Amino acid sequence: MKPTVSGKTKQSGTRPGSAGLSRKLMPYGFLIPIFASMGIFKFYPLAIALLKSFYEWNGANLNRWTGLTHYKALASDPTFHIALRNMAVLTGAYALIQLVMPLAGALLVYHLRGRRLRALCQTAFLLPMVVPSVIVYLLWRWIYASNGVINTLLGSLGWDSLKHAWLGESSTALASVLFVGFPWVGGVSFLLFLAGLTAIPTELYEAARLEGAGRWRRLTQLELPLLKGSLGLVLLLAVIHQVQSFENVLVLTNGGPGFATMTPALYLYKKGFEYNDFGYASAIGVVLFAGLLIFTLLTQRFMRNTEGSE
Amino acid sequence: MKGSRAGRGIHYGCTALLLALTLFPFYLLLISSGKDKGQLIRHFWTPVAPFHWEHYGIALKQLWPFLLHSVWITLCLILCVLINGLTAGYAFARFQFAGKGLLFAVVMSLVLIPGFLLLIPQFMLFRSLGLLNTLSAQFLGPMAGASSLAVLLIRTFFEGIPRSLTDAAAVEGAGELRILTQIMLPLSLPVVAAVSVMNALLGWNNYVWPLVVTSGDRAKPVILGLSSLTGPMDSILGIQMAGYVLASVPLLLLFLFSTKAFVHGMTSGAVKA
Repeated sequence: MKPTVSGKTKQSGTRPGSAGLSRKLMPYGFLIPIFASMGIFKFYPLAIALLKSFYEWNGANLNRWTGLTHYKALASDPTFHIALRNMAVLTGAYALIQLVMPLAGALLVYHLRGRRLRALCQTAFLLPMVVPSVIVYLLWRWIYASNGVINTLLGSLGWDSLKHAWLGESSTALASVLFVGFPWVGGVSFLLFLAGLTAIPTELYEAARLEGAGRWRRLTQLELPLLKGSLGLVLLLAVIHQVQSFENVLVLTNGGPGFATMTPALYLYKKGFEYNDFGYASAIGVVLFAGLLIFTLLTQRFMRNTEGSE
Repeated sequence: MKGSRAGRGIHYGCTALLLALTLFPFYLLLISSGKDKGQLIRHFWTPVAPFHWEHYGIALKQLWPFLLHSVWITLCLILCVLINGLTAGYAFARFQFAGKGLLFAVVMSLVLIPGFLLLIPQFMLFRSLGLLNTLSAQFLGPMAGASSLAVLLIRTFFEGIPRSLTDAAAVEGAGELRILTQIMLPLSLPVVAAVSVMNALLGWNNYVWPLVVTSGDRAKPVILGLSSLTGPMDSILGIQMAGYVLASVPLLLLFLFSTKAFVHGMTSGAVKA
C-alpha cells in the first residue's frame, strides 16, 4: 500500500523574502501536534514497556535490573501456558466463526430484493455493534446466570438436568465465553464482507445469471474468489482482536474458574494491577506483542502475494 | 433464478431467523428493564404490564454524573483526534518535504502497537503527571493511538480535493492555516463525520483504561458506573437493565443519525489499516 504522491511541485504564491524557509518548515509545523502526542503517549510508554521487562519493578520502591529472568520464568510458568492454550482455542474458533457467520449474513442481506429492505436489514444487524461491548458482556452474564435466560429456557422445556452454572464450571466456561454474541453476524466483519460484495462488478453477476448459475455456483465460482481480500482481512482482524482484548474474560469470568478462561492479555493485567508485578507483566506484553507482530507481517505479506497489492 | 420461489422463501426465512437471534438479547433487555422480581419470574419471555418506568428514573439519578463524564471524555477525544488528524493529514496531502514517506510510515506503524503493551507504562506516566482520577487522562490516553487512522482517512480525502482550489487561495495570499480551516475543512465534512463517529464509539465504550486510571466516583465514565447501580432487592435487576439501556442510548441515536458515516469509517479504517 504505497501512498500515492502527486509529483507536482507547487508554485507557491506567497510573498518573497523569508517565505522560502518558512515554506520549507511549514509542513513540519503541521506535524507538531501528532508527533508531540504520539511521542508522549505512545513512543515513550513503548520504550518503558520494553525496558521494564528486564527489571524487577513494583511501580514504587523496587526497581532492579534482572536481565532475562522474567522471560525465563515465563517459559516455565504453568499459568502462562494455560493462558496461551486458551488463547489458541478462543482465537481459532473465533476466527472460524468470523469467516463464516458474518459472510452468511452479508450474502443474505446483499441479495435481498429492494434497496429499502437491504438498508433496513443492514442497520438492524449493526445495532448490537453500537451497544457498548461491556454492556453486551454484562447482558450475557445475565443470560448465563443460574436463574438467567438459558437456564430459564431449559427449565420451561423441562430439561432441568441440562442446567449449568455456565460461567462457573470449568468444563463450560471457555465455550460460554466463545458463545457470547451468538449468532455473530453483525460487526466489522459483516461490513467488510458487504463492502467486498458491493465491489463486485454487476456485469459479472449478469454473466453468471445468463449462464444459469444457481446460488451455489455463483458463491463458489464468483463471490468467494473475489472476496479473498476481505476474507484475509477479516481473519487478520479477528486474530488481532482476540489476542488483544481481554474485556470479555475480565467482565464475564475474571479468568476463572481457576484458570479456565485466563488469557495472556488478562494475565498481564492481573500481574500488573493485582500483584504489582509490573516487570513480569511487561515481559508478558513484549512476548505477546512480538508474536502478534510476526503474525501480522506474515499475513500481510501472504495477502500481498496472493492478491497483488491494492 | 430457477426454483426461485422456494429459494426465496429459504433466503428470507434465514435472514429473518438470523435477525431475530441477533436482536433477541436486546429485546429481553428492554422488556426486563421494566419488570420487578415477581414479573420476571412469572412472565420471563413476554412484556408485561405494569411497566416500571421508575426503574429508569432510579438508574438515571445514579448515572447522570457519569453520563456527563462520558459525554465530556468522548467530545474531547474526538476534538484531539481531529486536531491531530487534520493538521497531519494536511501536511501529508499538500506538501512535499524531506522525510515525508518515513514520517508517514511512523505515524501508521503505531497501529501495530497493541493496547495491552502500553497499559502499564501509560498508567505510570499519568500517575507521575498527577492525572489519575481525572477526565483528561481518559481521553489523552487513547487519543494518540486513535489518531493514526484519522490521519490516513483525512490525508486520502484531502488528496482528492482539486489543487486548483487551494492554489487559488494561496495566490490570494491566504496563510496555510486559513486554507486548512476555511477551504479544506468545510469540504471534508464526510470524512470528519466518519472520524468523529468512530472515535465517539471508542471514547464512550472504553472500559479497561478508565478502570486502570480511575477509582472512586470523581471521574468515572458511565460504563464503569453501571457496576455500582443499587436499588431495592426486588427491582435491582430491572434497574440495572434500565441503566444498560440508558448507557447505550446516546450512541444508538448517533448511529441512527449517521449510519453512512459510521459504515464508511468502520470499513475504510479496517481496509486501510
